[in-house]
Amino acid sequence: MAIAREAGPVGSLHEVREAGLDREDLLGVYRNMLITRGVEERGHILYRQGKIPGSFYTGRGNEAAAVGVATAMGPDDVGTPLHRDMGVHITRGVEPWRIFAQYMGRQDGPTHGRDGNVHMADSQLGLIAMVSHLPAMLPVATGCALTFRIRDEARVAVGWFGEGASARGDAHESMTFAGTRKLPIVFVCDNNQWAYSTPTHLEYATEHVADRAEAYGFEGVVVDGTDVLAVYREAKRAIDKARAGGGPTLLECLTLRMEGHAVHDDAFYVPKPLFEQWAESDPIERFRTWLRENADLSDAEEDEIAAGVKKLLNDSLQRAEESPQPDPSNLTQGVYASPEDLDTPHHK
Amino acid sequence: MAELTYLQAISDGLRIEMRRDKRVFLIGEDVGVYGGAFKVSLGFQEEFGPWRVIDAPLAETAIIGGCTGAAIMGMRPVAEMQFADFISCGWDQLVTVAAKQRWRAGTPVPMVVRLPSGGGFSGGPFHSQNPESSFAHIPGLKCVCPATPEDAKGLLISAIEDPNPVLYFEHKHLYRRIKAEVPEERYTTPIGKARKHREGDDLSVITWGAMVYTAEEAAQQLDADGVSVEIVDLRTVQPWDKVAVLESVRKTSKVLVLHEDTRSGGFGGEIAATIAEEAFEDLDAPVKRLAAPDTPVPFSPTLEKAFIPQVEDVVAGLRELAEY
Amino acid sequence: MATETAVDVVMPQMGVSVSEGTITRWLKQEGETVEADEPLLEISTDKVDTEVPSPASGTVTQILVQEGETVDVGTKLGQIGGGGAEAPAPAAESEPAPEPATAEAAAEADAASPAESPAPTAPEPSAAPAAAAPAAPTGNGKAFVSPVVARIASEHGVDPSQVPGTGSGGRVTKKDILAFVESGGPPQEAQPAEAPAQAQPEAPAPQAPPAQAPPPPPKPKPPAPAPVAAGETLPGETVEPMTAMRRGIAEHMRRSLDTAAHVTSAIEVDFSRIVAARAKLKKEYQAAYGVNPTYLAFVAQASVETLRDYPYVNAEMRGDSIVTRNFVNLGIAVELAEGKGLIVPVIRNAEGLNLLGLARAIAEIAAKARNKQLVPDDVQGGTFTITNPGGYGTFHGTPVISQPQSAILGTYALVKRPWVVEDENGNDAIAIKPMMNITLTYDHRLVDGALAGRFLRDLRERLENWEGDGE
Repeated sequence: MAIAREAGPVGSLHEVREAGLDREDLLGVYRNMLITRGVEERGHILYRQGKIPGSFYTGRGNEAAAVGVATAMGPDDVGTPLHRDMGVHITRGVEPWRIFAQYMGRQDGPTHGRDGNVHMADSQLGLIAMVSHLPAMLPVATGCALTFRIRDEARVAVGWFGEGASARGDAHESMTFAGTRKLPIVFVCDNNQWAYSTPTHLEYATEHVADRAEAYGFEGVVVDGTDVLAVYREAKRAIDKARAGGGPTLLECLTLRMEGHAVHDDAFYVPKPLFEQWAESDPIERFRTWLRENADLSDAEEDEIAAGVKKLLNDSLQRAEESPQPDPSNLTQGVYASPEDLDTPHHK
Repeated sequence: MAELTYLQAISDGLRIEMRRDKRVFLIGEDVGVYGGAFKVSLGFQEEFGPWRVIDAPLAETAIIGGCTGAAIMGMRPVAEMQFADFISCGWDQLVTVAAKQRWRAGTPVPMVVRLPSGGGFSGGPFHSQNPESSFAHIPGLKCVCPATPEDAKGLLISAIEDPNPVLYFEHKHLYRRIKAEVPEERYTTPIGKARKHREGDDLSVITWGAMVYTAEEAAQQLDADGVSVEIVDLRTVQPWDKVAVLESVRKTSKVLVLHEDTRSGGFGGEIAATIAEEAFEDLDAPVKRLAAPDTPVPFSPTLEKAFIPQVEDVVAGLRELAEY
Repeated sequence: MATETAVDVVMPQMGVSVSEGTITRWLKQEGETVEADEPLLEISTDKVDTEVPSPASGTVTQILVQEGETVDVGTKLGQIGGGGAEAPAPAAESEPAPEPATAEAAAEADAASPAESPAPTAPEPSAAPAAAAPAAPTGNGKAFVSPVVARIASEHGVDPSQVPGTGSGGRVTKKDILAFVESGGPPQEAQPAEAPAQAQPEAPAPQAPPAQAPPPPPKPKPPAPAPVAAGETLPGETVEPMTAMRRGIAEHMRRSLDTAAHVTSAIEVDFSRIVAARAKLKKEYQAAYGVNPTYLAFVAQASVETLRDYPYVNAEMRGDSIVTRNFVNLGIAVELAEGKGLIVPVIRNAEGLNLLGLARAIAEIAAKARNKQLVPDDVQGGTFTITNPGGYGTFHGTPVISQPQSAILGTYALVKRPWVVEDENGNDAIAIKPMMNITLTYDHRLVDGALAGRFLRDLRERLENWEGDGE
């Protein structure tokens, strides 16, 4: 028995305009989704070529959820995206070549080789680098929201977590704190139905993760995570509400994790029919179709966008390959911050 | 100058910083309306308001993680763990996020976690621990342990100023028992620098926190024996003042490392190993350690006295060293 | 039931960080009876104000602390039962603390119960103290040397086994060895700037102050350590400890005499030519080089040249072999200031130096010796030594050879003597000549008297026929 509100799909372009997006914006959303997928597909190739050390994670199937939420964020809002949320980095403006450099552990990655995969963030773009312990970033995002409240700033924090991570105490404590204090935060649950090999019914006992929101004193919403416009609409609503002092929302975006937990995992435990079913709901395909039907997306435009993305990714890859390996002699530097670090505006 | 207890000195330092810099705020359980379990923040919420003296839910992860996020956003949060022992509930946030953010992501996390630590009053296993060594071991964290009221105030101010996560171990048993003259103005005590508590020629005691006073009493007894004991109060456990320690070792050639934390894996091991490595040719006796035995902190006074190093224990240890 | 034995009433600890309390009101007075758990007094602390229930039933026999007084936690406030007005039972220490001293407990004020404090048992030898320091090393404590003692021993060339030890098991402690070094002890090797020992302390000459002494060979163990101030002194006697250098000298002299077969031959040399040459060169050398061409320099130059023809005089016996050299490392004995001892710094490859070079080298090492700037290399490796005790006027001597060398040359006072010379007619006449007696003390195991004699003859030849400024 669900408690959360189940959001409906988005219809016409008009409705979308109401939500604040014009045609240009929509094409931009489409492009961001293409780049997101493109980055991760290239990453697969690099990995198999041995150019990416360690492990490799993707968010295939989550492009709409990530891009949709990020598009709804304001320029001064902050977020703590996770490994399925490459779309957030792309939408906020992280350059793909830096992401490739990060994957490959090169000097020009945002962490200069010190951390891998998508454990990165451009603080200038309002993003905070994730850790492996999930959902450890939720209390951090809550702290950001606390700051906005203390300083009376019209800014919102967005904290991501998966449905598996929702089982940990960090989620509970963050939501308790945020709920009791009505902090300006949106909790986004990427529910892709599998936490590694663990299905949802072993992670939570309610129908939806978002059902829990009521227990914390705020609204929970479930939305089709493959519908970028629906995600956008709900995210915008939640973010605006928080910004206006209405407190937190828990937005659950439902998708299917279309690949393994990481590149080494073939996801044999996911029933094949599920893959087939969700493949028909591919977020990029869905949106492309919607654009053609509702926004007159032409072949020419489509080709142009695709070509532009392809070129961007090729150029980015090349640039990243030229980035040098990190210098081991720097290893012990920067364990501690110096006072000068605080002078550099990184986060506002 | 005013005569303040160790606890009053902490309050004083915190109050000065909160008045001076509105980015500084205090968050913890019962710190607002109640004024803190130990009354460190008595009167603070009245002065600074409920959004700078925040009564948190019983949620250490939210407190520590919240401070991490706030620090990243440019605030200067001070978290209070009601007892140092409860830091284990927020360990993950501290060690996983706060400690590593600067090194791996270039993002400083200027926050302070105040930790009422130490025993001696039948607090039992969960209200008496001295967990500094676990955190001294984590790169990215700093750990300070003031022993005097003057240092308590100065180190807190330095900790708030420091752009790193600083764990501030305030020894509960010193709160009201120790009083001293403390300058009234704002001043900082450098993190990472030891203080020579007592000059001596024959033996060196390297210690911190409440044990400084235990060592002092023991040293006085040894004076009567004609043995002159030097006491180095580290004040900071991470980063610790290796130069000052080695200098003292070179002078006396006989050293006792003393701490209230348990022996195995206690920070004294690190100090002893460093002394052996770097001052081997200056040693006239093996480096001795005196610490609590490897048990949780007992409750009953008889047992607690057998746990916490007592003056007699330190005297015995020093005499052995002297006679070696 | 009422207690017969005394039960103390003590100030309870109302919270973890509370260290004292104030009595606000006694609810019972001395002489009144009270039941166990019945409120007996009221107190006030930092944390909370509360009633204190009586620890026992009986009569209040003592009230020791009055209303309004503030005392430490654990202080005896009064007594139930027993006699009155006795010396108070042993006061508890600061923490009798029966209750869980947590903040939460503090809030529940009424749960407070007074601490019972029978005199706390003295803490057992607690588990707290670390393991005992190992008793100084097994068995002979003297044989164990700690790192710092080893370092100091090596820096000062001291044998720790010779040092009296006051440490555990008779171990030599840092203090012991420092004291030993201060007050003296036989050093072994040539030390930086300090001196290895010399042989005979002879008088120094004004200019090139020599003294004779063989530098000690590397690491001999001194058989005779300084006796620890033993015995009693008679009236009129003063006891001073030997310095390290003195011990070294003593040891070396003895050993040298015990090793070599010392024989001394002497020859008288007419220094007229040298005197003239020196007079000519002195000003020039001083002005141009800042160096004084001493008689010692002349003798040194002549000796080095002569040694070319008499390798055995510059040789060494090693086992069954004789080691000769094509170089001369010339030792010059130097007395250290104030008779503190002797040292023999070495001029290496003296065969390559002319008069000027030797004069300079001699001046330099003498200065270094006196300023304690010599390093071990400076006093090692000598092959032949010259000593000049003649500064005080002595005309003859029998110096001790510096082991492991085979000979030592001694120069003595330059004295104007009446000398028999042949006049232009071939008749004997008396002339006044500046004469110097020169001795060669040699190891007769290697150098025979005839060889020594020929050496001295040739040396004299060179000195008496000195030409030019020496080459």
